[in-house]
Amino acid sequence: MLREKAWSPYLAGAIVGLLQIPALLIITSPIGASSSYVSVAGYLAGLFDPDIAAMDYFNKYMTDAKYLWQASMVAAIALGAFLSMRLSGTIRKSFSPAWTTAVGITRLPTRLVMGFCGGFLMLFGARWAGGCTSGHGLSGIGQLAVGSMVVTISFFTAGFLVSLLYKKL
Amino acid sequence: MLYIITGLIMGLVFGVALEKSRVFEPGVIIGQFQLRSWLLIKMFLTAIATTMVVVAVLHGLGFISLHPKAAIFPATVAGGLLFGIGMAITGACPGTVLAQIGAGYRDAWAVLAGAVMGAIVYGYLEPVVSSLSSGPGKITLVDVLPLPFWLLALIAATGIATALYLLERSHPWREDLGHDYDGVPSGSNLRQKRDGGVQLRESDGEDTQAR
Repeated sequence: MLREKAWSPYLAGAIVGLLQIPALLIITSPIGASSSYVSVAGYLAGLFDPDIAAMDYFNKYMTDAKYLWQASMVAAIALGAFLSMRLSGTIRKSFSPAWTTAVGITRLPTRLVMGFCGGFLMLFGARWAGGCTSGHGLSGIGQLAVGSMVVTISFFTAGFLVSLLYKKL
Repeated sequence: MLYIITGLIMGLVFGVALEKSRVFEPGVIIGQFQLRSWLLIKMFLTAIATTMVVVAVLHGLGFISLHPKAAIFPATVAGGLLFGIGMAITGACPGTVLAQIGAGYRDAWAVLAGAVMGAIVYGYLEPVVSSLSSGPGKITLVDVLPLPFWLLALIAATGIATALYLLERSHPWREDLGHDYDGVPSGSNLRQKRDGGVQLRESDGEDTQAR
């Protein structure tokens, strides 16, 4: 089964949903991902600005185990995807052909600049909203939180509008 | 330490599920925004419905308390919109970008670097930005509707399951996998160069016929 190149989205979705059980029972916090970026950001920025650990916002994410566990989960996502890719042989190189079709990018450096800018907006927005696809989308809506539904509708709307500027894949 | 090990195991499973479902692919994420591919919404809604059932059971039995995030304005809408713009430009989200790195996409490293930079800048601006927002706070549908959480969650999960059943009947998931499991139906008009870039292939009769 691990050698298959694709699973049904319903199977994969159910597995991710069931991950809430260890999260809620052991860590006593539902799944999220974007907080881990603040932990990493705090430690990296701390190399240049030692005062950062004293700032409330960074301090919380740099010391509280309730947030630090996310960094280990997010890092292990890369390992899980790597193992899955090796077992099925669907290795990815450079960047997705989607970018060539959508915006005509043919060289990696161009895509790196685009990716960096997009990554900046993505995390800035996620932290402003207080969560991302996992924390708001999955765990928030899963708990019927009204704010999380508003965030999720907002990011799908924005993604839809930006994708109108792209060529159809 | 228990938290870290639990996190590692969860991440491992999460990473496999993201890679196998193909929803970490930029082609699948952009395809969903363009309303052409439905893999992402199928996986996402299944995970949400499963979460609803899990939370309904664990909360109904009294094992856990709820941790809803606050609804505050304009942060919830403005942050959500910025996040969506970022998702469409990166073809990723904060979790899937790591799956892209694991699968070998090199541009995902730039997305990761930009994301960490975004978190640094937000962290410095947070005292100013967060003072701009206020709102109803941590409200859930339970505060709005006269039903207990477990019942509302099970009703919502049933609604999602019904919607997915109908979507699957009209649009089978295998149709959205794309040319090379990357969500790009037209992926065949590209050729990977040895230096890692891609170039447009001369019009290729064989591929055109295949489509």
